Parts: sequence; C-alpha cells; structure tokens
Amino acid sequence: MSGAIIKVENLTRQFAMSEGRSGFGGSILNLFSRRHFMKKAIDNICFDVGEGEFVGYVGENGAGKSTTIKILTGILTPTSGRAQVAGIVPYERRPDNARNIGVVFGQRTQLWWDLPARESFDLLRSIYKIDDATFRKNFDELSDALELGPLLSVPVRKLSLGQRMRCDIAAALLHAPRALFLDEPTIGLDVIAKDQVRKFLRRANKENGATIILTTHDMDDIEALCERIIILDEGKVAYDGSTEKLKDDYAREKLLEVELSDASPELPALPKVEVTRREGNRVWLKFSQDDVTAQEVISRILGACAVNDISIHEPKVGDIVRKIYSSGLLKHPVAT
Amino acid sequence: MNAAIAHPFAGRAKPVYLNFALKTFQSQAAYKFEYFVGVFNGLLYVFIFTSLWSAIYSGLQSGSDTPFTRAGIITYAVFAMICRISMTMEDTEISSRIRSGDIAMDMTKPVNFFLMNLSQTVGVTMFHWFTRVTPILLACFLAFDLEVSLEPARMAAAVCAWAMGYFVFFLLNFAFALLAFWFVETFSFQLTKYALINLLSGAIIPVDFFPSRLRPFMEMLPFQYIFYTPTAVFTGHLAWPETVRLMSLQAVWIAILGLLCSVMWRSAQRKLVVQGG
Repeated sequence: MSGAIIKVENLTRQFAMSEGRSGFGGSILNLFSRRHFMKKAIDNICFDVGEGEFVGYVGENGAGKSTTIKILTGILTPTSGRAQVAGIVPYERRPDNARNIGVVFGQRTQLWWDLPARESFDLLRSIYKIDDATFRKNFDELSDALELGPLLSVPVRKLSLGQRMRCDIAAALLHAPRALFLDEPTIGLDVIAKDQVRKFLRRANKENGATIILTTHDMDDIEALCERIIILDEGKVAYDGSTEKLKDDYAREKLLEVELSDASPELPALPKVEVTRREGNRVWLKFSQDDVTAQEVISRILGACAVNDISIHEPKVGDIVRKIYSSGLLKHPVAT
Repeated sequence: MNAAIAHPFAGRAKPVYLNFALKTFQSQAAYKFEYFVGVFNGLLYVFIFTSLWSAIYSGLQSGSDTPFTRAGIITYAVFAMICRISMTMEDTEISSRIRSGDIAMDMTKPVNFFLMNLSQTVGVTMFHWFTRVTPILLACFLAFDLEVSLEPARMAAAVCAWAMGYFVFFLLNFAFALLAFWFVETFSFQLTKYALINLLSGAIIPVDFFPSRLRPFMEMLPFQYIFYTPTAVFTGHLAWPETVRLMSLQAVWIAILGLLCSVMWRSAQRKLVVQGG
C-alpha cells in the first residue's frame, strides 16, 4: 500500500443520551429530570486508507458511519483514540485539515441557495486561496466532466436535485483535495443522475487518483465504485477487505438460470443442487460453491439436455450485506 | 473552450471575508418584493412611534419637566427607528444552522467561523443601508421637522457610536446564537433577547425616561449601548462629557462580549454535536 493518507487508531466516541419517559405525564417529568446514559457511537475502530483508494464505508442507520466521517472532517472530537488525515489530526487543527479535504453531504448543500452556483464557486476560490490559473484549470476539468456549463447562472434553488448534486461535487473538488468524503451522494437521485455521478466519481478516482471514502445505503454504489468495503456494525468494524473477497467469503451460494429447448425434459441427477423454481422450460437452480462448482453443474446439464440459454446470477453486495446483518454473521468477523 | 467567450472566472479572486459580505449582499437582493415590503414596514414603524410620542406630549401640561422637547423626542424616535433598521441582522440564521446541522458545511471550510459570520452580517447591513435606511431617511427628512445639528465632530462621534453599537449588537446576537450548541432549541432565548432589547436598548423608550434609581443598573447591561448611545449622540441630546463616557462604556462592552463569545465558541467546538445524518 502506498502511504496511508487516513489513519484511524482505536477511535471511540461516546454520546450522552437521555432516556425520556413516555406519555403526557412522562414528558412533564422529563422537563425536570431525565435518565442519562452513555452510548458508544463508534467503539475502538481501526483502519488505514491508502492514497488513491476508493473505500465504501457502510453500515445500518446508527452504526457509526457519520460519526467517523465527522471526526475525520474535524467537526467532532473523539472520546478516545486517534485519527489522522494527510498527517493532520483533524479535530485539533480543523482549518488546516479543511484545506486537504473535500466533503459532500448528500442531504445538505454548501452552495448558496439564492445565488447561481458560479457565485458559490467564486467564494470557494477566495476561501481556499486557489491561484487563478490552477482554479481555472480545476474548474474547466470539473465543468467538462460534470457538464456544469448550463447550470452556472441558474440560482441553486431552481436546480433539480441531480443538477445540484453535480454542482456540490464540483464545489468539493475545486481545491483538488487530497481526500474526498462523500456522505450519501446519490440519495434521492434518479437512475440517470446516479449513473452520471458514479461515472464521474470512478473517473476522478482512476484518472486523477483521488482518495475517496463513500458512505452510502445504496449498495449498487459500492458495487459499481468501491474496491474495498468497510462494514460497521453497532460501532465496530465488522468487515474490512476487498469487495470481491466479501463475495467469496459470504456468498458461497450461486443461482443458475437455465432455459431448456423443450418444456419437459428430465434434468440429470444433480447431487447437492436444489431446484428452487420451475416455469415452463425455465429452471432455477441453487447450489453452494463449497459442494460443487458452477462448471460441473453446467457440463452435467449440457450433457443431458438441449439448452437454449444458461446464466449465472452473481451475488450482489447488497444481498450479502443484508444477509450478514440478518443472520448475525458479523459476530465473527473474518477480517482484521 | 471558445477563446472569444470570457472564462466565467476571468477576474482575480477577492479577499475571502470581503467576498462573504458581497455574496450575502447579492443573496439579499434575490427577493425584490421582500425589499419593498421592508421599506414600507420601516416607514410604518417610524409613523407608529412618532405618533405615539406626539400623543403623549400633547397630553402633557405645558412646562412639565421632561428630558426631551416635543421636537426633540420626535427626532429621537425617528433616528432610533432608523438606527434599529440599519442594524437588522439575520440573528436566527446561526442558531438554525446549528440546530439543523448545516453548520457542518461551514465547519469543513478553512475559515474563521466568527469572521465569516461577521462579514455575512456586514453584507446584510450594507444591503439594508442601500435599500432601506437611505429611502426611509429621505422620507423622514421630508415628512418631519427634525432637529439635527450637522456639526462635523458630532457626526464623526455618531458614526463611531453607531459602529460600536453595531458591534455590541452583533456580539450579543452571536452569543445568543451559540447557545444553540447547548440547548439546541433557542427560540425562547431569542424572544427574551428581543424583549430586553425592546425595553432597555432605547429603541422605543429613551433611557432618560427610566426611574433614576434604575439607570445605574441599566448602565451595567449591554442593551442601551446598542441604539440609545448612537441615537442620543447623533441627535445632539448628550453633552460631550456624557458622549465620551457612554462611548467608552460601549468599548468596554465590546471587549466583554468579545471575550464571552470567544470562550463560548471554544467550549462549543469541544462539545460540538452536529445534528442529524
């Protein structure tokens, strides 16, 4: 791994929570006293991110994703442990850290609502003290890639969500940050806008070598973009490894869809393969890679029947993560 | 890119806090109708308070002992209201950003939060000077028989007193806004602040009308330095020694509130919890 740009060591953050009583009488009593208790939003988290990596940071609501991002962007101080971004402890030197990072919070905007986006960009040029030539070069690149031209002179409040997000992403990248934090950047976007954003992010990472941490609930984002995935569960790192390895480790089951030439042939004997569904001449088969390989199953079928089409359904990261949460597999993390 | 079309960012970058003020000015100008209503609203307030003082004074026995003459109190009422309009600021903006968590966007920028807010407030004020204060001032000079001496030294003192009053007002608002870090919902704090300002700042009732036993306590609060001091200096109501004394106290209050804000901001950053998300 080329030098780590983000280092997170034993990071813990506790919040004081208060437990309110329920009901009308309860809410009156709550005015005078509440029961307080501490809750760990993140608990002893460790990971490193190398320069140029594209990391998906996922977890259920309340798993601690946003808490981590807030610490790394310097707006939250951890209870214990240590974080570094490009050699700077973000919460100790927030303004210095701010120069090195770009942040997009999908549910918020950093653009000035009543002004055209170009005015926000102009302000960012002042804020980051970007020299004129570099700024114009950065802007032109972003403007081409995100097709900002027609959006520049429209007041931001009149942009669609997808258009606004393109402007927001540009705003976060104008100063060529060393690390980019994206918190739900595709939330609420339609399919086309999502696709545009993903294409751009992939390019920013591959061609410009941007280090990107992406928090999202949209597993298709992770699947399309991230080589590495960190899964949080109740504030702890439950999985940290490549997205491919996650599939290998957790999704041993494969689904095979076979379209036979005629409707009623007998399938050959297929031990350890389960027929899950049958519809006319189409058959769905499920098997585990631990018992039998896809190749074996396919060659047996081809040896016995005439087949129009065969397709293997690859497991989806989203399904895996969902399965992991529901089955509690994460109690025994495989990595780290 | 076509060479004939100027680059959208052809000019030079502006200094950051100046740019914050300019952008705020531009944002304010986005709603034209709001501006016209604002001018009307300002004139209405001037009318209400001048009418009120006229009515009060017409009920007085001639030869009553009052701190202002009839013309004097009308002049005071007009300029106190103009002073108040000139210091309009969006004082719930900061606390609502803290409450909604949008402050995260400000905190991930390499800017000084205090200076950023100050320059934005200056932007709002510049806008109000151009669009509200000037027309209302002109209208008042035409409509009322105002007693103002345009003595240069007094005008200069009035400008300084206004600027210091403005700082007191900004710092007070900033401190109240920061309370949102601890209490999240600060609406009732804001209401209390408005009530205290209305009562004690001289915006409606000049402090001269308060019982003399209360006056020393009022001097120990920041409110009268916001509107009373600049208005009383400008209208020539105060003798020079009193002018100098009140302006010194303005400076003391700027120091006290500045210190308070900086302590609050430091401690707020340590306990910062960004809401939502």
